[in-house]
Amino acid sequence: MFIGTVLYAVVNSVILALLAIGFNLTFGISGVANFAYGALYIMSAYLSWMLLNLLELPFLLAAVISILITTLCGALMYRFVLLRVRGQALSEVIATFGIGLAILELFRYLGFVGFEYTLPVLIDHSFVIFGAYIDMQRILIVIVGAVLVIFLWLFTHHTSIGLAFRGIAQDERTALSLGINSDRIATLSVSFGAGLAAIAATIIIPLGSISPSEGYDVLIKALAVCIIGGLGSTGGVIVASFVIGFAERFTDSYISSHWTMIVSLAAILIVLTIKPSGLFGKQKELEERI
Amino acid sequence: MKRNVFLLCLAIVAVFVWMIPGPTVYAAEPIVIGVPTSMGFLEGKESHKAVQIAVSEINAQGGVNVGGTKRLLKVAATDLRDAAPGVPVPEALLGLEKIILEKKPTAIVVGPFRSEALIAGMDIIAKYKVPMLGTIAMSPGSEKKIKGDPEKYKYIFRTCLNAVHLVKYLAGSMALINKEFGFNKVFVMHQDVAWARATAGFVKKVYFDKAGWEVLGMEAYPTGTSDFSSALMKARAKGAQVIMPIFDMPQSGILVKQWKSMKVPALMAGFISPLAGSEAWKTFDGKIGGAMNSIFELGSAIYSPKVPKSKEFFNKYKRTFGKPVQGGHGIAPSYESVYILAEAIERAGSLDPDAIVAELKKTDRNGVMGRVRYDEGNQAVFGTDPGETAIGLVFQWTDDGQRRIVFPASVAEAKIQLPPGLKSLK
Repeated sequence: MFIGTVLYAVVNSVILALLAIGFNLTFGISGVANFAYGALYIMSAYLSWMLLNLLELPFLLAAVISILITTLCGALMYRFVLLRVRGQALSEVIATFGIGLAILELFRYLGFVGFEYTLPVLIDHSFVIFGAYIDMQRILIVIVGAVLVIFLWLFTHHTSIGLAFRGIAQDERTALSLGINSDRIATLSVSFGAGLAAIAATIIIPLGSISPSEGYDVLIKALAVCIIGGLGSTGGVIVASFVIGFAERFTDSYISSHWTMIVSLAAILIVLTIKPSGLFGKQKELEERI
Repeated sequence: MKRNVFLLCLAIVAVFVWMIPGPTVYAAEPIVIGVPTSMGFLEGKESHKAVQIAVSEINAQGGVNVGGTKRLLKVAATDLRDAAPGVPVPEALLGLEKIILEKKPTAIVVGPFRSEALIAGMDIIAKYKVPMLGTIAMSPGSEKKIKGDPEKYKYIFRTCLNAVHLVKYLAGSMALINKEFGFNKVFVMHQDVAWARATAGFVKKVYFDKAGWEVLGMEAYPTGTSDFSSALMKARAKGAQVIMPIFDMPQSGILVKQWKSMKVPALMAGFISPLAGSEAWKTFDGKIGGAMNSIFELGSAIYSPKVPKSKEFFNKYKRTFGKPVQGGHGIAPSYESVYILAEAIERAGSLDPDAIVAELKKTDRNGVMGRVRYDEGNQAVFGTDPGETAIGLVFQWTDDGQRRIVFPASVAEAKIQLPPGLKSLK
């Protein structure tokens, strides 16, 4: 039971990290809180479903196409909407939330409601690890999560675009003086964030189903993880995912599932009370010092 | 000259008089049926479609006869969103009041999705005196409220199954499992909403505790939960022979997938909405063989050849919308409610809410779900014989993707089969 709980807590934590990492990347670099993030996640899942079921493409091809389309949508969203309100935090939130609302409610209006909207698992097999049964899709989630984190680290430390990302994140004005085009980098950051949401959807949705209301849940989970971890901090997101992920599964197993949400919210409250900027956040601390 | 002027004036007046229209003859206004519910959820969406089918059938016959005048029916729907996680009840109530004030419906069909919204909304229904035939919300709390003040809340009826009647079907199927296989250890998992809490509590109190079953655990999950591994591990560790789930949220499909992937050696028998429809076989990649699921009302998601009207409705829905009914709750009663309402209006001969309510109470109709009559709490009576009452049922998914009704005996098509890996104790 204990080993099983730990295993599923790890899976749950990686799921939370995957849900939050794209949101965090966009915010950390461009400073844009992309409230359309959950909608992009769901849009990508519906796109995969349509390509798979209506055009009958192979799942992997459908997934790649939907990830590319979602990434492109993120870039277009920045170029045509966010560029005009860049730097005005409230306007950015309203604009992205409006776009997200429109996407989700459009799917609802078009009748994409039902249990048949789901994606297939990549490998349909179960394993026994230390007496606990776990399926291959969950193991894949952990692998994909680990690979993505390593990829993001290598990308931001060893590629010119990645270094430009870090430059803008550290100090936009200085980066500008070094010839880095901040609008181009911000476009890429929103676009990459959308792409990461699509990758998360491709790997997580096969465990459940696609529904417009799921988009709001994803946004809330991403926000909760980012706030605990400290907005903009990738390390913080990973630690926060594990704090919430373990708190949820251990509450389920050793207290009661009824208390799961309350314990998670309490964890958020405690972290924010002790460290208002989140576990690894710097913004509030800097403000306080000033 | 004067004569000519007089004749000219007379002619002009005559022309004007001829041009003045006579008394306007208005066509009778259509009777508005309000459909406020959670349209974003399968049961709400399909219930709305079922109402549209019934309305189009009645209109094709010329409409409803109200005191000698045939009047057409018209549907006015609104999305209350009350089933969505995080939507507060007051927001749903605003939607309910808005449709009453703006669309001025003669009656409401389907109604709030969540019992929490229904119970709170009963005061609004009573205030505006709009008869309502609810077809989704299931908590018996609304009946208790009606019985507490019958005059005030007489406008609220429920055509669908309630939690108390659901308990009878769940208990009936558990008794059958016990009789056939000797199983008596159960693990209960339910959604943390009023109807599911009430159902789980009633089954334990009314059946499990009295019949000598060992309830190994009762886990409540908030709406939106997407991981059930802990409870499934507990069920396995404690040696559960039966897992009884009670869920109507889309995420409950994850429970079925986890039950399969974790290879929990227990029979899944209860209610999970994503398991109800024929498409579930494809959705779950054919890995649901052996799972037993309740259908709250005959005609929702499945029909019985023994009740021809349920088959007619099932086929009509498929012809109209291109795919079969998938929801296991609310759809058949929504269709029936329109007919029940139309018949009550015809008997009343007016659109006066009190007159309609008086006739609704006299309802006795043989339809899709069997025979529908209302009890003193305005709840449709459910039983096991479609000739006597409305019925719900329990079916089992076979390993070749068929759904076979196993309970009640009056409409049963097959005996319960144990899934691979699970052995009978008899």
